[in-house]
Amino acid sequence: MATPILDIAGYGLDYATPAGFTRALDDVTLSIARGEVLGLVGESGSGKTSLAWAIMRHLPKSAREAGAIRLTGQDLLKTSEAEIEAIRGKRIGMVFQDPSTSLNPTLSLGTQLAEVLVRHRGLTRKQAWAEGEERLAHVGLKVPGQMMRRYPHEASGGEKQRVVIATAFACQPECIIFDEPTTALDVITARQILDLFKELQAETGVASLYISHDLALVSQIATKVAVIHRGKIVEQGAVAEVFARPRDAYTQKLLAAVPRPDHRLVDTAAPAAGKPLVEVEKVSVHYGRKPFLGRLLGRANTQFTGNREVSLCVMPGEILGIVGESGSGKSTLAKAMTGLNRFEGEIRFAGRRIAGLGDMDRAYRRDVQIIFQHPDSSLNPRQRIREILSRPLELYGEPGARKDAAAIGELLEQVRLPASFAERYPHQLSGGEKQRVAIARAFASKPKLVICDEITSALDVSVQASVVELLVDLQKRFGTAYLFITHDLNLVRQIAHRVAVMYRGDLVDLVDVAALTDGTLHPYTRSLLDAVPAPAAAAA
Amino acid sequence: MSPAYILKRILLIGYTLLVVSLIVFAITQILPADAAVMMLGENATPDALAALRVKMGLNDSIWLQYLHWLAGVLHGDFGLSMRTGQPVAPAMFEALGRSLLLALFSIVLMLVLAIPLGIIAAVRRGRAVDLGVSFLSYVGVSLPEFVTATLVVLVLADWLQWLPATGYVPLTEDPLRGLRHLVLPVLTVSLILIAHVSRMVRSELVDVLHSDYIRAARLKGLSKRQVLFKHALRNALLPTITIVALDVGYLLGGVIVVEEIFALPGIGRQLIVAIQARDLPSIQAGALILATTYAVANFLADIAYAWLDRRIQYD
Repeated sequence: MATPILDIAGYGLDYATPAGFTRALDDVTLSIARGEVLGLVGESGSGKTSLAWAIMRHLPKSAREAGAIRLTGQDLLKTSEAEIEAIRGKRIGMVFQDPSTSLNPTLSLGTQLAEVLVRHRGLTRKQAWAEGEERLAHVGLKVPGQMMRRYPHEASGGEKQRVVIATAFACQPECIIFDEPTTALDVITARQILDLFKELQAETGVASLYISHDLALVSQIATKVAVIHRGKIVEQGAVAEVFARPRDAYTQKLLAAVPRPDHRLVDTAAPAAGKPLVEVEKVSVHYGRKPFLGRLLGRANTQFTGNREVSLCVMPGEILGIVGESGSGKSTLAKAMTGLNRFEGEIRFAGRRIAGLGDMDRAYRRDVQIIFQHPDSSLNPRQRIREILSRPLELYGEPGARKDAAAIGELLEQVRLPASFAERYPHQLSGGEKQRVAIARAFASKPKLVICDEITSALDVSVQASVVELLVDLQKRFGTAYLFITHDLNLVRQIAHRVAVMYRGDLVDLVDVAALTDGTLHPYTRSLLDAVPAPAAAAA
Repeated sequence: MSPAYILKRILLIGYTLLVVSLIVFAITQILPADAAVMMLGENATPDALAALRVKMGLNDSIWLQYLHWLAGVLHGDFGLSMRTGQPVAPAMFEALGRSLLLALFSIVLMLVLAIPLGIIAAVRRGRAVDLGVSFLSYVGVSLPEFVTATLVVLVLADWLQWLPATGYVPLTEDPLRGLRHLVLPVLTVSLILIAHVSRMVRSELVDVLHSDYIRAARLKGLSKRQVLFKHALRNALLPTITIVALDVGYLLGGVIVVEEIFALPGIGRQLIVAIQARDLPSIQAGALILATTYAVANFLADIAYAWLDRRIQYD
């Protein structure tokens, strides 16, 4: 094998804290040769991003290092700051997670691309600008000249990420670090960016370190994979090898947690036909009020439509998945159904007409509960878990029902948390534990319908798996119906009976989950399905 | 930012000033001052007072009086001062000119010193320089201007005898003496501004330097210097512009104390004299002029903001 471009040997990283050193990376050894893509997979806090900063030599002063990071034989740990500045952007490029924060909002896209060419290739501004246009055309941007002059807010997420990628490739670097480059993008855009990555990778043969939490994605693009857990590489090897025969227990657990459409967690048969629990009929939501001055001047309505005449129904005990990209109106519908948004149209709950907020009385709220995406913002940080859980018991508990510590303990045990958590504050819990508390709160009133609004998207894949399993278990026990909102198509295909697809405020498809594989579908649904990387071959 | 937007903003300023003029006029109506008595004195005969009231239109309806006054204002005529019997407008605008001179020098001095101080403090965050700047600016912000003014006079005029403590000499008459008289008031006002703005620049810059796009710029291989001046500063200065615009309002309205201490006949001092003498036309003129400068300063800040940050879309 040729000498590797990037060679990391026995690299360790500690951060000095007032309480001593905390280990971020431990004895990391990996290498990437020309033309290779190494997928570095790990959950949040595993140290994968620390490794990226270490390679880029962008570490805080509190960092203590050991080992070596070599770029074509040159040890970067022993390289001076000035030399590093000449290497960054020229020999090692980087593509960041979120293009909307990694681009300077007050400089044009062209300026931010051209400055790299001026810095590293000694071009004049004019030459750099012309070269920049070519680069943008090369990454598939339709009107490169115009795009150069645009500011970040005038470009879509996908366009911005293309600019970032063009910048990373601009000086023909030997190595590029991709730090979750598609995580902040919508499914279809992410697919396009991934295709662009493959194309450029094949064309330039750049040695790529592709950091991701998404195993399914890595299995598609990488040649080698390294799994990192608590700062240690627990397993690495060829992709096919690692995915087919994972040796490490952690890798096995990680692979098992990846949502797979062919691995159903719920009985496929939908609940027997009967009276629907909820019927949503032609519900529309408009955001924004007419501005006062605009109304005076008789200006056209500047309202934004969040939902356009959405109709659907949920049967008792059914799991209805709602998928769509961000801004498609998924959460808007959830908010309308819980009275957080005004709506037009009608909702019928167990035969009762709910025409607006006024009709959502205590009985309705008891029966319809919602769980939000971020437990950090949906749990009051100043209340103990006990206080958080006692609210719904007081509000919705039947007269005579117990509201004491034992009742709260039962609620916690229901979501598989120890009863002793009652005295804790939310910040003392992990993300997954916090979301379990939010689930316990929603189930405290014994609801008939629980709306889950992207409740696992902030969680790591293994935590997601256990939360989903818990939900399925609760559904079996109590026969609760779910409106399960997510952008993860694979996940929804695991648990939903039917799937509703939303696109720009419209409900474009509402089909049985089986129909996703062989039914006639809306073109948007089709492209959504095509965009989702199917998980790698079964991990036994 | 379209020309139509700018035009709309100018119209809005006109509307704002119209409302201000209404309020100013209404308040002067409430003040316990009878214009006729003010002009003729306490011992005037009822007949003479009645005659003057008819002549001044004081018996007209309030709306008619307002319209008469407004028509005059639009022609640059704020009426005659009850104190001096002279037209109000020339005296007021002359005083405004002196205040603007004070403001201009103070702002320039502030910009020259506050922005570099803020930058140094932010870049050397947590080091001795930062702590020093932070401490001094904290003192500067918390000291009221009459204390600062007294200290400045005490040291520079009284002990060191370098500069005159009070008074005003027009620059056109004797530029050097005029400037010497301006130094202390400018120093007093700008010290407060510097303290205020350098703190603002520092905290904004510290935030910006921690943002993702600054890290991204560093990882593109740009030097610290390039990143600071090309990427960070522009974003850090944006909120500062708004603060400076608000400070302009303070400069013109709030420097009354400073003008009083240094016997500088600016608009603030003029307004105090007018209020003491219950000189209604002068009070109206002063208030309206201050409101106008305030509105214009904010308008300019908005324009500058939109020019620097293209995300701001006004339409």
